[in-house]
Amino acid sequence: MKVLAAGVVPLLLVLHWKQGAGNPLPITPVNATCATRHPCPSNLMNQIRNQLGQLNSSANSLFILYYTAQGEPFPNNLDKLCGPNVTDFPPFHANGTEKARLVELYRIIAYLGASLGNITRDQKVLNPYAHGLHSRLSATADVLRGLLSNVLCRLCSKHHVGHVDVTYGPDTSGKDVFQKKKLGCQLLGKYKQVIAVLAQAF
Amino acid sequence: MFTLQTWIVQALFIFLTTESIGELIVPCAHIHPESSVVQIGSNFTAVCVLKEKCMDDYHVTADDIFWKISRATVSRDQYTVINRTSSSVTFLNIPLINVLLTCNIRMFGQINRSVYGIRIISGLPPEKPENLSCIVNEEKKMMCQWDLGRETHLETNYTLKSEWATEKFEDCKAKRDTPTSCTVNYPPVYFVNIEVWVEAENALGKVASDHINFDPIDKVKFNPPHILSVNNSKELSSILKLTWSDSRFRSFITLKYDIQYRTKDASTWNQVPPEDTSSTRSSFTVQDLKPFTEYVFRIRCMKEDGKGFWSDWSEEASGITYEDRPSKAPSFWYKIEPSHAHGTRSVQLKWKTLPPFEANGKILDYEVTLTRWKSRLQNYTVQDTKLTVNLTNDRYVATLTARNTVGRSDASVLTIPAWDFQATHPVTDLKAFPKDNVLWVEWTAPSEPVNRYILEWCVLSDKSPCIPDWQQEDGTVHRTYLRGNLVESKCYLITVTPVYADGPGSPEHIKAYLKQAAPSKGPTVRTKKVGKNEAVLEWDQLPVDVQNGFIRNYTIFYRTVIGNETAVNVDSSHTEYTLSSLTSDTLYMVRMAAYTDEGGKDGPEFTFTTPKFAQGEIEAIVVPVCLAFLLTTLLGVLFCFNKRDLIKKHIWPNVPDPSKSHIAQWSPHTPPRHFNSKDQMYPDGNFTDVSVVEIEANDKKPFPEDLKSLDLFKKEKVNTEGHSSGIGGSSCMSSSRPSISSSDENESAQNTSSTVQYSTVVHSGYRHQVPSVQVFSRSESTQPLLDSEERPEDLQLVDNVDGSDGILPRQRYFKQNCSQHETSPDISHFERSQQVSSVNEEDFVRLKQQQISDHISQPYGSGKMKMFQEVPAVDAFGPGIEGQVERFETVGMEAVVDEGMPKSYLPQTVRRGGYMPQ
Repeated sequence: MKVLAAGVVPLLLVLHWKQGAGNPLPITPVNATCATRHPCPSNLMNQIRNQLGQLNSSANSLFILYYTAQGEPFPNNLDKLCGPNVTDFPPFHANGTEKARLVELYRIIAYLGASLGNITRDQKVLNPYAHGLHSRLSATADVLRGLLSNVLCRLCSKHHVGHVDVTYGPDTSGKDVFQKKKLGCQLLGKYKQVIAVLAQAF
Repeated sequence: MFTLQTWIVQALFIFLTTESIGELIVPCAHIHPESSVVQIGSNFTAVCVLKEKCMDDYHVTADDIFWKISRATVSRDQYTVINRTSSSVTFLNIPLINVLLTCNIRMFGQINRSVYGIRIISGLPPEKPENLSCIVNEEKKMMCQWDLGRETHLETNYTLKSEWATEKFEDCKAKRDTPTSCTVNYPPVYFVNIEVWVEAENALGKVASDHINFDPIDKVKFNPPHILSVNNSKELSSILKLTWSDSRFRSFITLKYDIQYRTKDASTWNQVPPEDTSSTRSSFTVQDLKPFTEYVFRIRCMKEDGKGFWSDWSEEASGITYEDRPSKAPSFWYKIEPSHAHGTRSVQLKWKTLPPFEANGKILDYEVTLTRWKSRLQNYTVQDTKLTVNLTNDRYVATLTARNTVGRSDASVLTIPAWDFQATHPVTDLKAFPKDNVLWVEWTAPSEPVNRYILEWCVLSDKSPCIPDWQQEDGTVHRTYLRGNLVESKCYLITVTPVYADGPGSPEHIKAYLKQAAPSKGPTVRTKKVGKNEAVLEWDQLPVDVQNGFIRNYTIFYRTVIGNETAVNVDSSHTEYTLSSLTSDTLYMVRMAAYTDEGGKDGPEFTFTTPKFAQGEIEAIVVPVCLAFLLTTLLGVLFCFNKRDLIKKHIWPNVPDPSKSHIAQWSPHTPPRHFNSKDQMYPDGNFTDVSVVEIEANDKKPFPEDLKSLDLFKKEKVNTEGHSSGIGGSSCMSSSRPSISSSDENESAQNTSSTVQYSTVVHSGYRHQVPSVQVFSRSESTQPLLDSEERPEDLQLVDNVDGSDGILPRQRYFKQNCSQHETSPDISHFERSQQVSSVNEEDFVRLKQQQISDHISQPYGSGKMKMFQEVPAVDAFGPGIEGQVERFETVGMEAVVDEGMPKSYLPQTVRRGGYMPQ
């Protein structure tokens, strides 16, 4: 949780403070400086696949856990309340090059990571005693964070991409409880759907 | 003196002022460096710089500076005065220290003052941490550990640093008490390489370990799987299916498993081949298991590529394989019990329960079939393990099968031979020995083919009977161990019987111990025979219950009270031993110890004393001495005999023979012939008795003057009694009064007595004839005669005119009369009198005779009455005395008549006051 607070949330804040937040960030030019703290491992793509598989294996259970924890009317109105109707979700093209797929993956993971951070924050308020949900959301956010690091490391080390413009979902801080729950459920539904595609793509 | 006091006062003032004002007072100097941590072995220099004001106040310069370390003044050799205000001190090769270094000045008046101080601490810079490794316990945070290296003696901080390629994580500072490890504060993120290293830092330096870069998934230790079930299969009794649930990682990484199993009672685990469990799975079927056996399983997992750590073992779970038919026929044996019925035998068939690994299930029952010749006789279904049947003396074949829910075992066949069967072909070279805490039995097989062997054993004991246990071995076996609950220190009698197709062979026996021990009791030794210089010791064999092993030998310890102990070893087959070369008349203490292979035990101590002389030694001394004494005595007697005349002359002079005295010449009425020698009086020479004299006394005419003669008479009587043994009346109521004796002995006695020996006076008549002649006898003694002798008229003596012919019958009469008294019931009154009276018989007769004599001689009367009074028992007879005398005479007459004695003896009637007219 502290990792989340120390990593994702400040990133989101920083991004929101920046002018033009919410718009995709441009890809760093090829000749731009791309430095990592230490060399990336050689099995980076395997790790990305394992991470996607790890996320994919837990996405459905996370989704179920979420709408169950929200209570009615969510469990009985999944189609209406939890349909994957997420606006501005980054696209993904599975038939692209590795670099393109990695860049799109980076944007999706960044989008999901920020949204998951918002959901986690909201659920701790809305369902303070749903500790199982909290820990699953945090664990998923940690994996997304690791995946983001791996993708960035791969882009930087292999494709020399040091920066990728990303977009984020709507801010739920000003919405009511139901809307928060509904947006969260819709995002997790989308997440479950997208992550399966990504796991297949890599 | 005054100056010293002044300086002391000043010093106290300065000290108190400084202490009270504290920081308001500016130090007089300072030391550079202010504080120092010095590496051990290095050199260190400190400089003390005095301030001008202080120098002016106290009139000191750098020359007045001296250094101290923990109150010890540093040698001036180490000082260097740099200038007027500064002085330095240098320490070479600093050891391990933690001291206070002070700068001091010596002021006027020899007053010393510390003006500044610093602390010097020595230590070492940290070494590079080595062997950094990390582990990620599933669902827990990562923990890394490392080796510190040498001791720094300084406060050293260890920090675990970690980062991804794209970002850095929070440092993990090791705790003081656990400087070799640290657990990070963030959850592990798998499939992202992380770089980790350790930095060690103290006052003397900072050093970092090598960096390690790894994927946390390769350092993970999964939680152990959880076994869900262990299921058997009815179709296959040799399999069990194990199912489990394990880590959630199984959905996205490949795991491998380690499965172990064992039977419930076993201690070692069997391993499922790793290649069979090298991929992710949730169940596994273990094969080649024993039927109807409970197995215990456990499982663990790790990453398939072997990176990371094995999980802990799961909790154990057990399952039982399904039953199968018994895999082996039961062991089968028999015992013929004594039977009183003629022509039949009572045979107890017995068998062993199959062990679980052979029973393959729960044995429901056993089926026994007995066949005589080739015709089936009887079938028995038994749930017990023995069956007693009465069989004829013929040969039988018994078969046994065990049954469980699945099926029957093979049949165990046993031949019971006919009663007259002679067993042969025993095993040879039978041995039994303990090894590895079991008792092994080994033998050489007979030349004949053996179907199987039966081993029986039991504990030999004097207290309990031999209750045999047994086991069966295959015919190919010639060495096995006894599979019973054998105990140590017990003697086992082991019997091996080969079993042939036609019946059992001859059994062979052997004794053995599982483990020997020292006897629990020592033998009790005792002496069988003790001689002057040797002793034969004997003992009983120890009871088998206390032997605790094979008695190998005995040791006899013997010693005297003050001597050294001597030990003698004796073979265990002996029960006695002869100790030789012993000292006579000595107390020996002997004890005995019995030894097994494992030690010995002493028995109770026994003591004995050797005699002073050997057997027969005393006789060898005494007999010759006695013989010598006897010979000496004989020689002495012979000598005395040869010199008897001389001896007689000196110690036994001749005494004149009264019979040869001339008294006869004094009596004018006595024929001269009566005063001749005895031969003349008793020509036949057979007169050895004494005649009874009946004296008629007249008690109405006492003669007091005769009392003197009475006393003398009493004396004579006493003396005579000692020589009356040859007279029948002495022991048979005969008179003990003085008598005439014709024997030499009497003559000698008279001579020896040295008294006047009055002869016996025969005073009664013969055949109612009044004696016509009074006989007086007088001794030839030279002693003066008594008064009564001086008056011969007082004695009315009657001469027996018939001489010796009349004396002997009279003596015989009294003897016979005596015997009549003893035998005739008619005279019981007399016997009663004898019993009542305390006076002896002789006294009684003497009394009667005295009464008679009282009738005869009045002068004696009063004296005799006095005697009556002195004898109470006689007095008890009282007035009956007179009548008693009369009855006595009558009885005597009757006795003579009854016994047919010679009729020449006629009764005599004594009348008071005189003789009856004849």
